[in-house]
Amino acid sequence: MAEADTRGAFVRGFWALAPLWLGVIPFGLAYAVTARGAGLSLLETQALSAFVFAGSAQLSAVGLFASGSAGIEIVLTTLLLNVRHLLYGLSLGREIPLTTRERPMAAFFLTDESFGVVAAARERSFPFLLGAELSLFAMWNLATLAGYLVGASIPNPEKIGVDMIFPLAFLALLVPLVRTRIELTVALASGALAFGLARTLPGGLPILLTGIGGSLFGAFLTRGTPADRSINPEDAAREVA
Amino acid sequence: MTFWLILSGMVAVTFGSRYAGLALRVDLPDFWVRFLHFVPIAVFSSLVAPALEGNRSEWGIRVTAAAIAAVAAWRTRQLWVAIAVGMAVFWLLRIPF
Repeated sequence: MAEADTRGAFVRGFWALAPLWLGVIPFGLAYAVTARGAGLSLLETQALSAFVFAGSAQLSAVGLFASGSAGIEIVLTTLLLNVRHLLYGLSLGREIPLTTRERPMAAFFLTDESFGVVAAARERSFPFLLGAELSLFAMWNLATLAGYLVGASIPNPEKIGVDMIFPLAFLALLVPLVRTRIELTVALASGALAFGLARTLPGGLPILLTGIGGSLFGAFLTRGTPADRSINPEDAAREVA
Repeated sequence: MTFWLILSGMVAVTFGSRYAGLALRVDLPDFWVRFLHFVPIAVFSSLVAPALEGNRSEWGIRVTAAAIAAVAAWRTRQLWVAIAVGMAVFWLLRIPF
């Protein structure tokens, strides 16, 4: 019985992320084509997808490899782009009870997309999280392989407009989270801040800074109201995904 | 060889960022509990807003598609419906008349 529950939650998490495949596949293909163009071997291209598993960081690393940048430069850029995951872990770690053995696995596969789907879903459990995470991991790696093998005949994602899928997905995840006037204020202020920051800073950094700034703003605006400390709130409004 | 050394560094900083947040288990003061409540809201907004501009001077189309997708998300609470509606509007408006 317990095993069937675990399996059910994993499968639900896996499918909860499936609407995002449409955005992942062209992005993965584009990454692989870029990596191949930069002179990386198939093994190297695939290893980045399997072990780093962070799209924007992989794409910028490949560009840096091509321009002959120093290794330390590539690693620091990766850190800059990926340090935002710290916030996701902090947020999820409070909501989902994880054992010491589950934690590294949940961390290794954590992405914007799986955090998004799980943070917006009503269901909070390790199998559900892992299902969502591996759903993205499988697609990302398959798209990498296909992109490398098929090569340059793949159209540019921006040209066919599929780069719009991720913003739409995160907007759809955001909408049900905004229920109070303060939450709306924080959402609008964060959007404006990120818009401004993205004009001068690289990929992941505006997300990190906005994540911190917007959340500080929200915590400040809600001062005086007691915090909800329940670990697994039966929150009826969180129904999307 | 250098490639694999760089890859190891990339894995270390990425996994480190992902693990550190999950591993931190302290009883946080009220202010930081409320802070964490706003993290998904602030992060999702920051993933949406800059992408609405695009690089092809078609921000009007993108904002329109996003607004209609937001209504679809609000009404249906279904991720795939919101994406499908938003993309349909986006592609339709992109067709040069």
